[in-house]
Amino acid sequence: MATATRDTGTPERGRGAHIRHGLGERAMGRIFLTPSFAFMAVIALFPVFYAVLMSLYRIRGFTREFVGIDNYLQALSDPGFYNAALNTLVFTVASVSLEFVIGLGFALIMHQAFVGRGLTRAVILVPWVIPTAVAAQVWRYMFDHNPGFVNAVLGADINWLRDPAWSMAGIIAADVWKTAPFVALLLLAGLQTIPRDYYEAAKVDGAGVLQRFWSITLPLLRPAIVVALLFRTVDALRMFDFAYVFAGYSNSLATLSVYAQRFLVAEPQLGYANALSTVTFVIVMLVGLAFISRMGRHMVGETAREVKR
Amino acid sequence: MSILSWRRSHGVRAFAAGTAAFALILATGCGSPPGEEPEGEGEAAGLADDPQFVWAVTGADRQIHEDVARLWNENNPDRQVEVFFLAPTADEQRQAMFQDLQSQAGQFDVLGLDVIWTGEFAEFGYIESLEDLRPQIADVSLPGAVDSAQWQQELYALPYSSNGAFLYYRTDLIDEPPTTWDELYETGTEAAEEAGISAYVGQGDQYEGFVVNYLELFWAAGGELFDEGQTQSTFLEGDAAATALDFMTEAYDSGFYAEGFDSMVEDDARALFQAGEAVYMRNWPYAVPLLEGEADEESAVAGDFAVAPLPTFDGEGSTSALGGLNNAVSTLSENKDLAREFVLWAATDAEAQGILAGHSLPPTMVSAYEGAEDPNFEMLGDILADAHARPPVPGYNSLSLVIQDNLHPAYIGQGEAEPALEAVDGAANDALEQE
Repeated sequence: MATATRDTGTPERGRGAHIRHGLGERAMGRIFLTPSFAFMAVIALFPVFYAVLMSLYRIRGFTREFVGIDNYLQALSDPGFYNAALNTLVFTVASVSLEFVIGLGFALIMHQAFVGRGLTRAVILVPWVIPTAVAAQVWRYMFDHNPGFVNAVLGADINWLRDPAWSMAGIIAADVWKTAPFVALLLLAGLQTIPRDYYEAAKVDGAGVLQRFWSITLPLLRPAIVVALLFRTVDALRMFDFAYVFAGYSNSLATLSVYAQRFLVAEPQLGYANALSTVTFVIVMLVGLAFISRMGRHMVGETAREVKR
Repeated sequence: MSILSWRRSHGVRAFAAGTAAFALILATGCGSPPGEEPEGEGEAAGLADDPQFVWAVTGADRQIHEDVARLWNENNPDRQVEVFFLAPTADEQRQAMFQDLQSQAGQFDVLGLDVIWTGEFAEFGYIESLEDLRPQIADVSLPGAVDSAQWQQELYALPYSSNGAFLYYRTDLIDEPPTTWDELYETGTEAAEEAGISAYVGQGDQYEGFVVNYLELFWAAGGELFDEGQTQSTFLEGDAAATALDFMTEAYDSGFYAEGFDSMVEDDARALFQAGEAVYMRNWPYAVPLLEGEADEESAVAGDFAVAPLPTFDGEGSTSALGGLNNAVSTLSENKDLAREFVLWAATDAEAQGILAGHSLPPTMVSAYEGAEDPNFEMLGDILADAHARPPVPGYNSLSLVIQDNLHPAYIGQGEAEPALEAVDGAANDALEQE
């Protein structure tokens, strides 16, 4: 990530300093970038366009028939699709908000100077390092009636896996456990960019802890918050592992990704599966772009100012 | 470490993250759900120097399929087969075979199909008709296995391996195995109360195993999913569908089913029964050696359990769903004659089928069960002779998912019974002809 930025940053700074001979630095830069873009096009763009193309067909065995937007119309009249969209929405809103609040708490703790800070940081990050599919299996086992670990800890008798409301709460809890550290990591990086002088100045002016948090920390942390929310929202909208491991293709938890997978593998209708994937892709992209355009410009402006300084 | 590198680059961090975020968004645009790109799992066994054709089969029970292929290769040194092992889970196997066929790769000549896929593969034009081979297996293979290999009265595959259900019961708590489900319910509840354990474990999670458990009750009550010619659903004819669902609902409510039955799969049930926590268990034959405590397995019930056929509601006969594999010939095969010969050999050669029996994978040849030394094995032969094939209609998978989505919530009290059963009836009709 850092390298990519340096590439775009250098020409800005070095424009006047270098004498131009032969190809300009910009042109050279473009030439050097061409292979990467070509690579990206083959790896990332081709599958996207191919998926969109396939979504216009009805595919059964060896027969393939062009049906235009029929698959999309089918999605619009499919209660299963709306159910999956609703599940995804509930999961995304709940998990991202909780992850943000808890992640911010973690970040503030990790930012303090105390004995064993390095160890604490490492420990907090452990859940994030575990592969999601593995974490999902472990959580499923803990939520299961036999051995009933979670119920024993809570002293409750809850059907975590098969009661629709509780199982949604279950995967949200598991996801928060897993990704709150990631949010904390991003926010911690943001906290470390805030100069100490501001806090000292505020203290001299008599600002309390809360006031310092509201007027200094939060505004200056905004770029990091945006990035963290963007990552988590986009990721949560595509969530597959927890839902699938907890409940298979069951409508009670099926997210958009699980629902698309159902028509790709369990009930093979490749055209429809591709239409569902495309819809998911468009939703994720629109949400991502909304984040970037809304608050991203502000971020980029901030960065430019920092660079000038 | 990552914290360090983050700190070093914090000056440009925000923009970098923005760029990366956009790349991430681009990367989500793959055809299948992101992050779940199916891996081309599977591998060739390397059994032949110069293989003439390829047999794609499940990676479960590897040794058995390998031995069968070795036997063929010994007998046919010029026409050797190579085995390609697919993933052990059914969904992944089907996907791998679909990919091979859909992309016209045609790498596989013989396809080892789960008993419920016949109609789907036939309807998609993926497999050859083997109707002309019917006379050669008619009295050789189990009738249920033959049923599972045909669609619309046409044979598209030949039986290879089978599987059936046992009712496991505790001999220290139950004297005689029950012959009706009501008797099972009563004796189980009573014995469970006395011993302070659960009455019944089985496959109650929302997956194919639940469908099998439900259908066994449905068949035990005299139900049939389709009419003779497989032209329409007969799911709601009579009251078998409601009887079966009512039984499950009551068993769940009253605590006859063990705690957590609604998320229990084969091995969960086995573990509970093995720990001495249940009176009855519905499971496949694989659990017998584990429960006996063979191969260092710890078992609290070794010597204290026996197996019996699953009962019916009226006490007549027994009931079991049929599992297993059928072998079919791919329409893309360039060696169809050879592939057909292999498929027929695997179904009818006593030695090949004996390899399955020797490894306690139930064979499909009726004669393999005759005069068996192990009484359990002989009983399995009887169970399989009466077993029901889940009808391998083209939309079986969709039908199964509808059963799971409707009847599972219904029996655990999350949904209404009436509309759930009607939804299944509608899905059964749809499954006969997908679209």
